[in-house]
Amino acid sequence: MSAFRRQWLWPVALAASTVFGLLTALIGEGGLWWLLCWVALATPLVTIALCVVRRRPSSGL
Amino acid sequence: MTRRAVRAWVWLHRWSSLICTLFALLLCLTGLPLIFKDELGPDLQLAATTAPPGRASVDSMVARALAARPGEVVPYLFYDRDHPILKVPTAASMTADPATFHYQVFDTRTGQQIAIPQPNEGFLYVMTRLHLDLFGGVPGTLFLGCMGLLLVLAIVSGVVLYGPFTRRLAFGVIRTDGSRWRSWLDLHNLLGIVTLAWFGVVSFTGVINTLAAPIELAWQANQLVEMAAQAKPAEIEGQRASTDAVLRDVRAAVPGMNVMTVAFPGTPFATPSHIAIFLTGNTPITSRILKPALADASTGQVVSVRDMPWYATALFMSQPLHFGDYGGLPLKIIWALFDVATIVVLLSGLYLWWAKRPRRGDAESAGSAAS
Repeated sequence: MSAFRRQWLWPVALAASTVFGLLTALIGEGGLWWLLCWVALATPLVTIALCVVRRRPSSGL
Repeated sequence: MTRRAVRAWVWLHRWSSLICTLFALLLCLTGLPLIFKDELGPDLQLAATTAPPGRASVDSMVARALAARPGEVVPYLFYDRDHPILKVPTAASMTADPATFHYQVFDTRTGQQIAIPQPNEGFLYVMTRLHLDLFGGVPGTLFLGCMGLLLVLAIVSGVVLYGPFTRRLAFGVIRTDGSRWRSWLDLHNLLGIVTLAWFGVVSFTGVINTLAAPIELAWQANQLVEMAAQAKPAEIEGQRASTDAVLRDVRAAVPGMNVMTVAFPGTPFATPSHIAIFLTGNTPITSRILKPALADASTGQVVSVRDMPWYATALFMSQPLHFGDYGGLPLKIIWALFDVATIVVLLSGLYLWWAKRPRRGDAESAGSAAS
Protein backbone atom coordinates (compact mmCIF):
# COMPACT_ATOMS: atom_id res chain seq x y z
CA MET A 1 0.00 0.00 0.00
CA SER A 2 1.40 3.39 -0.92
CA ALA A 3 2.19 5.90 1.82
CA PHE A 4 -0.54 8.21 0.57
CA ARG A 5 -3.12 5.43 0.65
CA ARG A 6 -2.05 4.29 4.12
CA GLN A 7 -2.33 7.83 5.43
CA TRP A 8 -5.75 8.58 3.99
CA LEU A 9 -7.50 5.20 4.18
CA TRP A 10 -8.88 5.71 7.70
CA PRO A 11 -9.85 9.39 7.36
CA VAL A 12 -11.70 8.70 4.11
CA ALA A 13 -13.40 5.58 5.49
CA LEU A 14 -14.57 7.43 8.62
CA ALA A 15 -15.79 10.42 6.62
CA ALA A 16 -17.71 8.05 4.35
CA SER A 17 -19.21 6.32 7.39
CA THR A 18 -20.26 9.70 8.80
CA VAL A 19 -21.89 10.86 5.58
CA PHE A 20 -23.63 7.51 5.19
CA GLY A 21 -24.97 7.79 8.76
CA LEU A 22 -26.12 11.39 8.29
CA LEU A 23 -28.07 10.54 5.14
CA THR A 24 -29.43 7.16 6.21
CA ALA A 25 -31.83 8.45 8.86
CA LEU A 26 -32.81 11.36 6.62
CA ILE A 27 -33.70 9.23 3.60
CA GLY A 28 -34.84 6.01 5.28
CA GLU A 29 -37.81 5.89 7.63
CA GLY A 30 -37.19 4.78 11.21
CA GLY A 31 -36.44 1.20 12.34
CA LEU A 32 -33.44 -0.41 10.68
CA TRP A 33 -32.41 2.86 9.03
CA TRP A 34 -32.08 4.56 12.39
CA LEU A 35 -29.99 1.67 13.68
CA LEU A 36 -27.70 1.88 10.62
CA CYS A 37 -27.42 5.64 11.16
CA TRP A 38 -26.45 5.26 14.83
CA VAL A 39 -23.83 2.57 14.08
CA ALA A 40 -22.33 4.51 11.15
CA LEU A 41 -22.11 7.72 13.15
CA ALA A 42 -20.84 6.04 16.31
CA THR A 43 -17.92 4.48 14.37
CA PRO A 44 -15.80 7.68 14.26
CA LEU A 45 -16.54 8.34 17.94
CA VAL A 46 -15.48 4.82 18.93
CA THR A 47 -12.33 5.28 16.80
CA ILE A 48 -11.44 8.41 18.78
CA ALA A 49 -12.01 6.62 22.09
CA LEU A 50 -9.81 3.66 21.02
CA CYS A 51 -6.98 5.91 19.83
CA VAL A 52 -7.05 7.96 23.04
CA VAL A 53 -7.09 4.85 25.23
CA ARG A 54 -4.22 3.27 23.26
CA ARG A 55 -1.85 6.22 23.57
CA ARG A 56 1.36 5.48 25.44
CA PRO A 57 0.62 6.21 29.09
CA SER A 58 3.92 7.80 30.06
CA SER A 59 2.87 11.42 29.64
CA GLY A 60 0.60 13.82 31.40
CA LEU A 61 -1.84 14.26 28.48
CA MET B 1 3.50 19.96 -1.18
CA THR B 2 6.27 22.55 -1.21
CA ARG B 3 7.47 24.19 2.01
CA ARG B 4 6.11 27.47 0.77
CA ALA B 5 2.66 26.01 0.13
CA VAL B 6 2.58 24.39 3.59
CA ARG B 7 3.46 27.74 5.17
CA ALA B 8 0.69 29.46 3.25
CA TRP B 9 -1.86 26.85 4.38
CA VAL B 10 -0.61 27.09 7.97
CA TRP B 11 -1.11 30.85 7.81
CA LEU B 12 -4.64 30.41 6.42
CA HIS B 13 -5.51 27.74 9.01
CA ARG B 14 -4.13 29.83 11.88
CA TRP B 15 -5.92 33.05 11.02
CA SER B 16 -9.21 31.66 9.77
CA SER B 17 -9.56 29.69 13.00
CA LEU B 18 -8.22 32.35 15.36
CA ILE B 19 -10.74 34.92 14.14
CA CYS B 20 -13.73 32.61 14.54
CA THR B 21 -12.61 30.43 17.49
CA LEU B 22 -14.34 32.47 20.19
CA PHE B 23 -17.63 32.45 18.27
CA ALA B 24 -17.22 28.81 17.25
CA LEU B 25 -16.76 27.91 20.93
CA LEU B 26 -19.85 29.91 21.82
CA LEU B 27 -21.82 28.13 19.08
CA CYS B 28 -20.62 24.70 20.23
CA LEU B 29 -21.40 25.43 23.89
CA THR B 30 -24.83 26.98 23.31
CA GLY B 31 -25.62 24.32 20.71
CA LEU B 32 -25.11 21.54 23.24
CA PRO B 33 -28.33 22.15 25.27
CA LEU B 34 -30.20 23.04 22.05
CA ILE B 35 -29.66 19.48 20.76
CA PHE B 36 -31.91 18.36 23.61
CA LYS B 37 -34.40 21.22 23.45
CA ASP B 38 -37.36 18.84 23.14
CA GLU B 39 -36.24 16.87 26.19
CA LEU B 40 -35.39 20.01 28.18
CA GLY B 41 -38.51 21.91 27.09
CA PRO B 42 -41.75 22.12 29.04
CA ASP B 43 -43.80 19.00 29.71
CA LEU B 44 -47.01 19.40 27.69
CA GLN B 45 -48.99 17.04 29.98
CA LEU B 46 -51.33 16.15 27.15
CA ALA B 47 -54.62 14.64 28.28
CA ALA B 48 -55.41 11.06 27.28
CA THR B 49 -58.16 11.09 24.65
CA THR B 50 -59.26 9.06 21.67
CA ALA B 51 -60.17 12.16 19.67
CA PRO B 52 -58.06 12.50 16.51
CA PRO B 53 -55.68 15.47 16.11
CA GLY B 54 -57.19 18.49 14.38
CA ARG B 55 -60.74 17.73 15.49
CA ALA B 56 -61.31 20.81 17.67
CA SER B 57 -62.31 24.12 16.08
CA VAL B 58 -59.37 26.43 15.31
CA ASP B 59 -61.67 29.46 15.07
CA SER B 60 -62.73 28.83 18.66
CA MET B 61 -59.08 28.61 19.81
CA VAL B 62 -58.27 31.88 18.04
CA ALA B 63 -61.32 33.56 19.58
CA ARG B 64 -60.32 32.42 23.07
CA ALA B 65 -56.71 33.52 22.52
CA LEU B 66 -57.92 36.97 21.46
CA ALA B 67 -60.38 37.21 24.35
CA ALA B 68 -57.52 36.60 26.77
CA ARG B 69 -55.42 39.35 25.15
CA PRO B 70 -57.74 42.29 24.38
CA GLY B 71 -56.51 44.72 21.72
CA GLU B 72 -54.08 42.21 20.17
CA VAL B 73 -54.21 40.33 16.86
CA VAL B 74 -53.34 36.76 15.84
CA PRO B 75 -50.74 36.94 13.03
CA TYR B 76 -49.91 33.23 12.72
CA LEU B 77 -50.86 29.72 13.80
CA PHE B 78 -48.10 27.19 14.44
CA TYR B 79 -48.69 23.44 14.51
CA ASP B 80 -46.13 21.06 16.01
CA ARG B 81 -44.45 18.27 14.04
CA ASP B 82 -44.47 15.84 16.95
CA HIS B 83 -47.42 16.77 19.19
CA PRO B 84 -51.15 17.44 18.59
CA ILE B 85 -50.93 21.06 19.68
CA LEU B 86 -51.56 24.46 18.11
CA LYS B 87 -49.54 27.48 19.20
CA VAL B 88 -51.54 30.68 18.82
CA PRO B 89 -49.41 33.82 19.12
CA THR B 90 -50.96 37.21 19.76
CA ALA B 91 -49.18 40.51 19.09
CA ALA B 92 -49.75 44.26 18.92
CA SER B 93 -49.87 44.15 15.11
CA MET B 94 -49.66 41.75 12.16
CA THR B 95 -46.09 42.83 11.47
CA ALA B 96 -44.88 42.80 15.09
CA ASP B 97 -41.44 41.33 15.91
CA PRO B 98 -41.89 37.60 16.70
CA ALA B 99 -39.79 38.14 19.85
CA THR B 100 -42.75 40.13 21.26
CA PHE B 101 -45.36 37.42 20.57
CA HIS B 102 -47.40 36.07 23.46
CA TYR B 103 -48.19 32.38 22.94
CA GLN B 104 -51.23 30.39 23.98
CA VAL B 105 -51.19 26.66 23.32
CA PHE B 106 -54.20 24.43 22.61
CA ASP B 107 -54.74 20.68 22.25
CA THR B 108 -55.95 20.17 18.65
CA ARG B 109 -57.92 17.07 19.67
CA THR B 110 -59.99 18.52 22.50
CA GLY B 111 -59.53 22.26 22.00
CA GLN B 112 -58.44 22.59 25.62
CA GLN B 113 -55.89 25.22 26.46
CA ILE B 114 -52.55 23.91 27.79
CA ALA B 115 -50.62 25.96 30.34
CA ILE B 116 -46.92 26.11 29.38
CA PRO B 117 -44.29 28.80 29.92
CA GLN B 118 -43.73 31.32 27.10
CA PRO B 119 -41.20 29.94 24.58
CA ASN B 120 -39.46 33.33 24.39
CA GLU B 121 -38.05 33.34 27.90
CA GLY B 122 -35.89 31.10 30.09
CA PHE B 123 -32.58 29.23 29.70
CA LEU B 124 -33.30 27.58 26.35
CA TYR B 125 -34.46 30.86 24.85
CA VAL B 126 -31.22 32.60 25.91
CA MET B 127 -29.20 29.70 24.46
CA THR B 128 -31.22 29.87 21.23
CA ARG B 129 -30.69 33.61 20.79
CA LEU B 130 -26.96 33.38 21.58
CA HIS B 131 -26.67 30.57 19.03
CA LEU B 132 -28.91 32.19 16.42
CA ASP B 133 -28.11 35.90 16.41
CA LEU B 134 -26.29 36.98 19.62
CA PHE B 135 -29.49 38.95 20.39
CA GLY B 136 -28.65 41.07 17.33
CA GLY B 137 -31.46 40.15 14.93
CA VAL B 138 -30.73 39.56 11.26
CA PRO B 139 -27.34 41.39 11.33
CA GLY B 140 -26.32 39.17 14.27
CA THR B 141 -27.32 36.06 12.33
CA LEU B 142 -25.44 37.16 9.22
CA PHE B 143 -22.37 37.94 11.34
CA LEU B 144 -22.45 34.42 12.78
CA GLY B 145 -22.82 33.18 9.20
CA CYS B 146 -19.53 34.92 8.32
CA MET B 147 -17.89 33.30 11.33
CA GLY B 148 -19.28 29.97 10.10
CA LEU B 149 -17.72 30.56 6.68
CA LEU B 150 -14.35 31.18 8.35
CA LEU B 151 -14.86 27.95 10.27
CA VAL B 152 -15.48 26.07 7.01
CA LEU B 153 -12.25 27.63 5.68
CA ALA B 154 -10.42 26.51 8.84
CA ILE B 155 -11.75 22.96 8.39
CA VAL B 156 -10.69 22.81 4.73
CA SER B 157 -7.21 24.19 5.45
CA GLY B 158 -6.95 21.80 8.41
CA VAL B 159 -7.59 18.83 6.12
CA VAL B 160 -4.96 20.07 3.66
CA LEU B 161 -2.44 20.34 6.51
CA TYR B 162 -3.31 16.92 7.90
CA GLY B 163 -1.32 15.39 4.99
CA PRO B 164 2.11 16.99 5.58
CA PHE B 165 1.73 16.99 9.39
CA THR B 166 0.97 13.28 9.83
CA ARG B 167 2.93 11.83 6.89
CA ARG B 168 5.33 9.82 9.05
CA LEU B 169 2.74 8.68 11.59
CA ALA B 170 0.40 5.72 11.65
CA PHE B 171 -3.25 6.73 11.84
CA GLY B 172 -4.51 7.85 15.22
CA VAL B 173 -1.19 7.73 17.06
CA ILE B 174 -0.91 10.17 19.95
CA ARG B 175 2.78 10.47 20.78
CA THR B 176 3.32 10.84 24.50
CA ASP B 177 7.10 10.49 24.64
CA GLY B 178 7.92 14.02 23.59
CA SER B 179 6.68 17.46 24.48
CA ARG B 180 3.20 18.20 25.76
CA TRP B 181 2.73 20.40 22.70
CA ARG B 182 3.34 17.45 20.37
CA SER B 183 0.82 15.29 22.23
CA TRP B 184 -1.81 17.99 21.90
CA LEU B 185 -0.96 18.38 18.22
CA ASP B 186 -1.54 14.66 17.68
CA LEU B 187 -4.85 14.83 19.56
CA HIS B 188 -5.90 17.91 17.59
CA ASN B 189 -5.07 16.15 14.32
CA LEU B 190 -6.86 12.95 15.32
CA LEU B 191 -10.05 14.63 16.56
CA GLY B 192 -10.01 17.08 13.67
CA ILE B 193 -9.70 14.49 10.92
CA VAL B 194 -12.17 12.02 12.49
CA THR B 195 -14.91 14.60 13.13
CA LEU B 196 -14.17 16.29 9.78
CA ALA B 197 -17.31 15.15 7.92
CA TRP B 198 -19.67 15.86 10.81
CA PHE B 199 -18.10 19.22 11.66
CA GLY B 200 -18.02 20.19 7.99
CA VAL B 201 -21.68 19.30 7.44
CA VAL B 202 -22.88 21.00 10.65
CA SER B 203 -20.83 24.15 9.95
CA PHE B 204 -21.91 24.39 6.33
CA THR B 205 -25.61 23.76 7.06
CA GLY B 206 -25.33 26.30 9.88
CA VAL B 207 -24.08 28.88 7.40
CA ILE B 208 -27.02 28.08 5.10
CA ASN B 209 -29.39 28.51 8.06
CA THR B 210 -28.06 32.01 8.65
CA LEU B 211 -29.37 32.90 5.20
CA ALA B 212 -32.98 32.29 6.31
CA ALA B 213 -33.91 35.98 6.34
CA PRO B 214 -32.63 36.77 2.81
CA ILE B 215 -34.21 33.54 1.56
CA GLU B 216 -37.57 34.53 3.10
CA LEU B 217 -37.31 37.97 1.52
CA ALA B 218 -36.55 36.47 -1.89
CA TRP B 219 -39.54 34.13 -1.58
CA GLN B 220 -41.86 36.96 -0.52
CA ALA B 221 -40.69 39.25 -3.32
CA ASN B 222 -40.93 36.63 -6.09
CA GLN B 223 -43.00 33.55 -5.38
CA LEU B 224 -45.59 35.01 -3.00
CA VAL B 225 -46.32 37.88 -5.38
CA GLU B 226 -46.67 35.44 -8.31
CA MET B 227 -48.96 33.15 -6.33
CA ALA B 228 -51.18 36.04 -5.26
CA ALA B 229 -51.40 37.23 -8.87
CA GLN B 230 -52.93 33.92 -9.98
CA ALA B 231 -56.42 35.04 -8.93
CA LYS B 232 -57.96 38.41 -8.28
CA PRO B 233 -58.88 38.69 -4.60
CA ALA B 234 -62.64 38.80 -3.91
CA GLU B 235 -62.16 41.49 -1.22
CA ILE B 236 -65.74 41.42 -0.01
CA GLU B 237 -66.02 44.17 2.60
CA GLY B 238 -66.28 42.82 6.13
CA GLN B 239 -66.31 39.15 5.10
CA ARG B 240 -63.59 36.92 6.53
CA ALA B 241 -63.45 33.23 5.70
CA SER B 242 -63.52 30.86 8.67
CA THR B 243 -60.10 29.41 9.41
CA ASP B 244 -61.63 25.97 9.94
CA ALA B 245 -63.19 26.10 6.45
CA VAL B 246 -59.92 27.26 4.88
CA LEU B 247 -57.99 24.45 6.59
CA ARG B 248 -60.57 21.89 5.41
CA ASP B 249 -60.33 23.15 1.81
CA VAL B 250 -56.54 23.22 1.83
CA ARG B 251 -56.32 19.69 3.22
CA ALA B 252 -58.68 18.54 0.47
CA ALA B 253 -56.67 20.37 -2.20
CA VAL B 254 -53.33 18.98 -0.99
CA PRO B 255 -54.08 15.47 0.26
CA GLY B 256 -51.54 13.57 2.33
CA MET B 257 -49.88 16.67 3.76
CA ASN B 258 -50.05 18.31 7.17
CA VAL B 259 -50.64 21.97 7.88
CA MET B 260 -47.65 23.35 9.80
CA THR B 261 -48.13 27.11 9.75
CA VAL B 262 -50.91 29.54 8.88
CA ALA B 263 -50.06 33.18 8.11
CA PHE B 264 -53.01 35.56 8.30
CA PRO B 265 -53.58 38.51 5.91
CA GLY B 266 -51.30 41.44 6.64
CA THR B 267 -48.32 39.40 7.84
CA PRO B 268 -45.09 39.31 5.79
CA PHE B 269 -45.79 35.68 4.83
CA ALA B 270 -49.26 36.33 3.38
CA THR B 271 -50.77 39.22 1.39
CA PRO B 272 -53.31 41.81 2.60
CA SER B 273 -56.09 39.77 0.98
CA HIS B 274 -54.85 36.17 1.25
CA ILE B 275 -54.22 33.63 3.96
CA ALA B 276 -51.05 31.60 3.44
CA ILE B 277 -50.96 27.99 4.60
CA PHE B 278 -47.67 26.07 4.77
CA LEU B 279 -47.84 22.28 4.56
CA THR B 280 -45.34 19.46 5.02
CA GLY B 281 -45.25 15.78 4.06
CA ASN B 282 -44.90 12.68 6.21
CA THR B 283 -41.47 11.26 5.38
CA PRO B 284 -38.29 12.40 7.19
CA ILE B 285 -37.32 14.59 4.24
CA THR B 286 -40.73 15.90 3.14
CA SER B 287 -41.70 16.68 6.74
CA ARG B 288 -39.00 19.38 6.59
CA ILE B 289 -39.96 20.95 3.27
CA LEU B 290 -42.75 23.50 3.45
CA LYS B 291 -45.23 23.73 0.59
CA PRO B 292 -47.16 27.01 0.50
CA ALA B 293 -50.84 27.38 -0.43
CA LEU B 294 -52.69 30.65 -0.74
CA ALA B 295 -56.40 31.08 0.01
CA ASP B 296 -58.63 34.09 -0.54
CA ALA B 297 -59.19 35.84 2.78
CA SER B 298 -62.85 36.65 2.03
CA THR B 299 -64.12 33.48 0.39
CA GLY B 300 -61.60 30.97 1.75
CA GLN B 301 -61.13 29.55 -1.74
CA VAL B 302 -57.71 27.97 -2.37
CA VAL B 303 -56.07 30.13 -5.02
CA SER B 304 -52.63 28.63 -5.52
CA VAL B 305 -50.46 25.74 -4.35
CA ARG B 306 -46.87 25.39 -5.46
CA ASP B 307 -43.54 23.97 -4.34
CA MET B 308 -40.93 26.18 -2.75
CA PRO B 309 -38.04 27.30 -4.99
CA TRP B 310 -34.70 25.45 -4.83
CA TYR B 311 -33.05 27.98 -2.50
CA ALA B 312 -35.79 27.56 0.09
CA THR B 313 -35.61 23.76 -0.24
CA ALA B 314 -31.85 23.96 0.39
CA LEU B 315 -32.59 25.90 3.58
CA PHE B 316 -35.19 23.34 4.74
CA MET B 317 -32.89 20.39 4.00
CA SER B 318 -30.02 21.98 5.89
CA GLN B 319 -32.06 22.27 9.09
CA PRO B 320 -32.20 18.60 10.19
CA LEU B 321 -28.55 18.15 9.21
CA HIS B 322 -27.69 21.05 11.51
CA PHE B 323 -30.00 20.15 14.41
CA GLY B 324 -29.54 16.34 14.44
CA ASP B 325 -33.19 15.90 15.42
CA TYR B 326 -34.18 13.25 12.88
CA GLY B 327 -32.93 9.99 14.37
CA GLY B 328 -34.31 9.70 17.88
CA LEU B 329 -32.52 10.23 21.18
CA PRO B 330 -29.44 8.10 20.27
CA LEU B 331 -28.72 10.44 17.33
CA LYS B 332 -29.00 13.43 19.66
CA ILE B 333 -26.49 11.83 22.04
CA ILE B 334 -24.15 11.14 19.10
CA TRP B 335 -24.59 14.79 18.05
CA ALA B 336 -23.65 15.93 21.56
CA LEU B 337 -20.53 13.70 21.62
CA PHE B 338 -19.39 15.08 18.25
CA ASP B 339 -20.04 18.55 19.62
CA VAL B 340 -17.84 17.87 22.65
CA ALA B 341 -15.10 16.48 20.35
CA THR B 342 -15.18 19.67 18.28
CA ILE B 343 -14.93 21.76 21.46
CA VAL B 344 -11.71 19.84 22.21
CA VAL B 345 -10.50 20.50 18.64
CA LEU B 346 -11.13 24.24 19.09
CA LEU B 347 -9.52 24.44 22.55
CA SER B 348 -6.52 22.33 21.57
CA GLY B 349 -6.05 24.47 18.46
CA LEU B 350 -6.07 27.56 20.64
CA TYR B 351 -3.51 25.97 23.00
CA LEU B 352 -1.26 24.93 20.08
CA TRP B 353 -1.21 28.52 18.83
CA TRP B 354 -0.81 30.05 22.31
CA ALA B 355 2.11 27.82 23.30
CA LYS B 356 4.02 28.43 20.04
CA ARG B 357 3.12 32.04 19.35
CA PRO B 358 6.10 34.36 18.78
CA ARG B 359 6.72 36.37 21.97
CA ARG B 360 8.52 39.66 22.22
CA GLY B 361 9.85 38.59 25.61
CA ASP B 362 11.66 35.60 24.04
CA ALA B 363 13.95 37.80 21.96
CA GLU B 364 14.66 40.05 24.93
CA SER B 365 15.46 37.19 27.30
CA ALA B 366 17.66 35.56 24.63
CA GLY B 367 19.48 38.86 24.30
CA SER B 368 20.02 39.23 28.04
CA ALA B 369 21.20 35.62 28.35
CA ALA B 370 23.85 36.27 25.67
CA SER B 371 25.22 39.36 27.38
